[in-house]
Amino acid sequence: MATPSRPVPVLFRPLPKGGRLLKHLLLIGFGLVMLYPLLWMVSSSLKPEELIFRQPGLWPSEVTLDNYVDGWTALKHPFGYYLWNSAVVTALSVVANLVACSLAAYAFARLGFPLKKLWFAVMLGTIMLPHHVVIVPQYIMFSKLGLINTIWPLVMPKILATDAFFVFLMVQFIRTLPRELDEAAEIDGAGYWRTFYRVVMPLCLPALATTAIFTFIWTWNDFLSQLLYLNNPDNFTVPVALRTFLDSSGESSWGPMFAMSIVALGPIFGFFLAGQKYLIRGVATTGLK
Amino acid sequence: MSSGKKMWSARVGGALLSAALLATTAACGGGSGDSADGKVKLRFSYWGSDSRQKLTEQVIKKFEEKNPTIDVEGEFSDWSSYYESLSTKVAGGDAPDVMTIEIKGLREYAGRGILADLAGKVATSDLDAKVLGTGALDGKQYAVPSGANAFALVANTAAVEKAGQKAPDDATWTWDDYLGLAAKITEGSGGKVYGTQYTFNSAYLTIFAAQRGEKFFDGNKIGVTPETLKAWWGNFQKLIQTKGSPDAAKSAEVDANSPDQSLLGTGTAAFGMWWSNQLGTLSKASGQELTLYRLPKAKGATTSGMFLQPAMYYTTSAKTEHAAEAAKFIDFLVNDPDAGAILLSDRGLPVNSKVLEAVKSKLPPADVKTLEFMDKIRPELVDAVVPPKGASGVEDILKRYSEEVLFGRMTPDDAAQKFLTEANAAIAG
Amino acid sequence: MADTVAVERRAKASGPVTGGSRTTERKRREARAAYLFLAPWFVGLFVITIGPILASLYLSFTDYSLLEEAKWVGFDNYVKMFTEDPRFVSSLKVTTIYVVVSVPLQLAFALALALVLDRGLRGLPIYRSIFYLPSLLGGSVAIAILWRKVFGAEGLVNAVLGVFGIQGPGWVSDPDYALGTLILLHVWTFGAPMIIFLAGLRQIPSSYYEAASVDGAGRLRQFRSITLPLLTPIIFFNLVLEVIKSFQSFTQSFIVSNGSGGPADSTLFYTLYLYLKGFKNYDMGYAAAMAWVLLLIIAGLTGVNFLASKYWVFYGDSK
Repeated sequence: MATPSRPVPVLFRPLPKGGRLLKHLLLIGFGLVMLYPLLWMVSSSLKPEELIFRQPGLWPSEVTLDNYVDGWTALKHPFGYYLWNSAVVTALSVVANLVACSLAAYAFARLGFPLKKLWFAVMLGTIMLPHHVVIVPQYIMFSKLGLINTIWPLVMPKILATDAFFVFLMVQFIRTLPRELDEAAEIDGAGYWRTFYRVVMPLCLPALATTAIFTFIWTWNDFLSQLLYLNNPDNFTVPVALRTFLDSSGESSWGPMFAMSIVALGPIFGFFLAGQKYLIRGVATTGLK
Repeated sequence: MSSGKKMWSARVGGALLSAALLATTAACGGGSGDSADGKVKLRFSYWGSDSRQKLTEQVIKKFEEKNPTIDVEGEFSDWSSYYESLSTKVAGGDAPDVMTIEIKGLREYAGRGILADLAGKVATSDLDAKVLGTGALDGKQYAVPSGANAFALVANTAAVEKAGQKAPDDATWTWDDYLGLAAKITEGSGGKVYGTQYTFNSAYLTIFAAQRGEKFFDGNKIGVTPETLKAWWGNFQKLIQTKGSPDAAKSAEVDANSPDQSLLGTGTAAFGMWWSNQLGTLSKASGQELTLYRLPKAKGATTSGMFLQPAMYYTTSAKTEHAAEAAKFIDFLVNDPDAGAILLSDRGLPVNSKVLEAVKSKLPPADVKTLEFMDKIRPELVDAVVPPKGASGVEDILKRYSEEVLFGRMTPDDAAQKFLTEANAAIAG
Repeated sequence: MADTVAVERRAKASGPVTGGSRTTERKRREARAAYLFLAPWFVGLFVITIGPILASLYLSFTDYSLLEEAKWVGFDNYVKMFTEDPRFVSSLKVTTIYVVVSVPLQLAFALALALVLDRGLRGLPIYRSIFYLPSLLGGSVAIAILWRKVFGAEGLVNAVLGVFGIQGPGWVSDPDYALGTLILLHVWTFGAPMIIFLAGLRQIPSSYYEAASVDGAGRLRQFRSITLPLLTPIIFFNLVLEVIKSFQSFTQSFIVSNGSGGPADSTLFYTLYLYLKGFKNYDMGYAAAMAWVLLLIIAGLTGVNFLASKYWVFYGDSK
């Protein structure tokens, strides 16, 4: 951020003391509302199973860790096995999306080429169709390719930048950067690749962090495609495994489901905490000079 | 430029490599066809929760012990996404060899040539003929039932008595008795416990209509008259008026819940209508002793209207390359006492009399009760009807118009007409 | 989308323009590089994305049950939709209300909180994480149950209202309130656009603020003349994407109404109806037709958005 020798911009100057306190109070009050679902889940996961619906209040009258023990061992494999499966799918997706989407975004944001507007419209068009109607054709395609019960149907689309959300996101971020940066780099003799890799990408750190965070969360929680493409119980991922605690017409294992939901939140929350450091680190101003 | 490129490509390459590794290891467990060791591989799809998955894995292991040349691989999902994923697989030409379906899906699948005729391939002589009969369509035995359930009234008699009321005699009680009792229970408990939780389950309407001599599904048409529909909705309206049930909004809320979150399951109602196999879940959730009753009757009705419905069916794909092995697996599931001993009532109470005899002593108390109840009502049962294509849509249509009526957004006359038009259109195809 | 003006500016910046041939050579080089950068995307488009999309277009002209071969029926599905399907019309209405009300509210909320949570206070990372939580949990089954508990007739919300002597309705089970509750829930999961706004705020070079400070610009002025204009591409992104995503909203209604769109169709979102048609009524042809109608609607709105953006979005690359 700003070098100490310079004056601190007004916008970043701390508020007067009273204002700060008020702000904290408001944020805390609001935060409690946001926190309620998590507290409720934690509390439910600590209640003996039969009390979850009979005593829906936030404070458990009895506390037990049984649900965690049961949940961890209830399925064919220990729950950690599914966490690992999810971690593999998610990690590959994050890396793939970061690379592929930023490459495409740079071209759309900074380079001129024939039919650019058309291709850009096509890209946006691909996210306008409700995905329910492409599930079946897509399944048929991957099935014909013999890729069912492999990780490919989940990761290949990411490697090939098919998620227009992230491409568009990064296009917008790159376009907020002053064009003079590229031009300066060009005058220094940098090619497109070098401009992309050395100049634009470092300045897009917040956007990259956003992409990584969202890809991680959305992949981690994605249920349907993981159910369809990894339907062998040995390949189950966390969202699919979590659903197996539930039977809407019969007996559900609510306790273990809540407990393992909490466990499954751990990695996403951890990733978010780690990622937000980059999210807010801000643009290195030195890149501007 | 080149140094940057190298780094990127190295990273992408690494990701690709590990993905490929994972893909190949995963492929060993998936795909179709035969394993490398010459075993026949069967894919078996079913829905359920973790407890069913465990039992199923056990029963598969047992089957593989007895048939060392066959490898069965279970594919399962939760109920709410089951048909979605099964239909997708079928559409992709990737149908599992053995598929579990339930009665509403039977004609959708059998009627479209997805299922194979199992007549003569699975021994069925020990199975309950009435229940087995529902799996036969157009003279072909497309489906073999795994077990059977009855739609019954589940009662918490302790709650009834606590409200100062007497438990009913379910052999003779009428709808009016039931509605009156429900109102008195709410009153007697000081509003803490409701008389009953109502349901829009079409099984309820099926029974109600049968008592009035009408069939819910009559071939490819809806067989209930507007009068019957209005009388049926009249029951709900009366329950709401007399506070025998919570108001429309609260009822809509609990109707969306699973048995363990229902009023009966949380100890806040004395009655509820459920499938008999849900007795165990309800008992466990409420922590109370629950009893099964016959549904009340219409005055002057000559039939109880109650029926045994198959809990699930086992079917095989018409396209399976291993028809003999698939039939063998189903045969094992329904006829082998060893399989019965593992599954018990997980897929409904066994309809195979020999298996039932063999496992009777192992059944948990709730199932023993259900069994006694079923034996008691057996002479009064009518045949179950296999719904036509489009029937799962009818269930939703019924629920929607029922809500329109109970929220007072539509008159019963109007709703009855609209329901009949829309439901008939849904199953006409 | 960098328009041709920008390209020409680039060309000029690279040196004195001596002749047309150099510019075309330059352009060709640039286009070649662009296609290289876009290579994975093009492969993905033609190998993975386009096929299923075109397949769904074809299916929209067929009677397709998923379980049988598709049969060509021409425009039947489209005609049926507009002439004899009141539920189609009502789902479109429900969805439109949902989008029109919840998108602006959610974005305003997200932007306001992003500004508050950007900097200047202790403990901001913690606040940010907490505020993002609802979006993390949004689609999980556990939360669906909680919703019914919190917004139930005897739920938490009504208990709180009861303290003030107000008898609240069944927020998710009364057809008059259910949609409103879903809108509220949507606004409440403002985490994703908030994160994007936060990232956008950090993208603004702080040297701009420093310069403005030296000029003596106040807090409000800095916000109006630096933050807001420089954030417009991000606001635009969030607007476009939220419109697209809200029109496709599915999960919330699916889990809160148990997949029915009830009570009495009051939360029957367009995509939910499409899903029920396709997977529950085995009418995937009709579902595909619905999907394409939605695509046209969304594309139209997005087009309008892009046209309008010329008047209020400022890019760093074309001042």
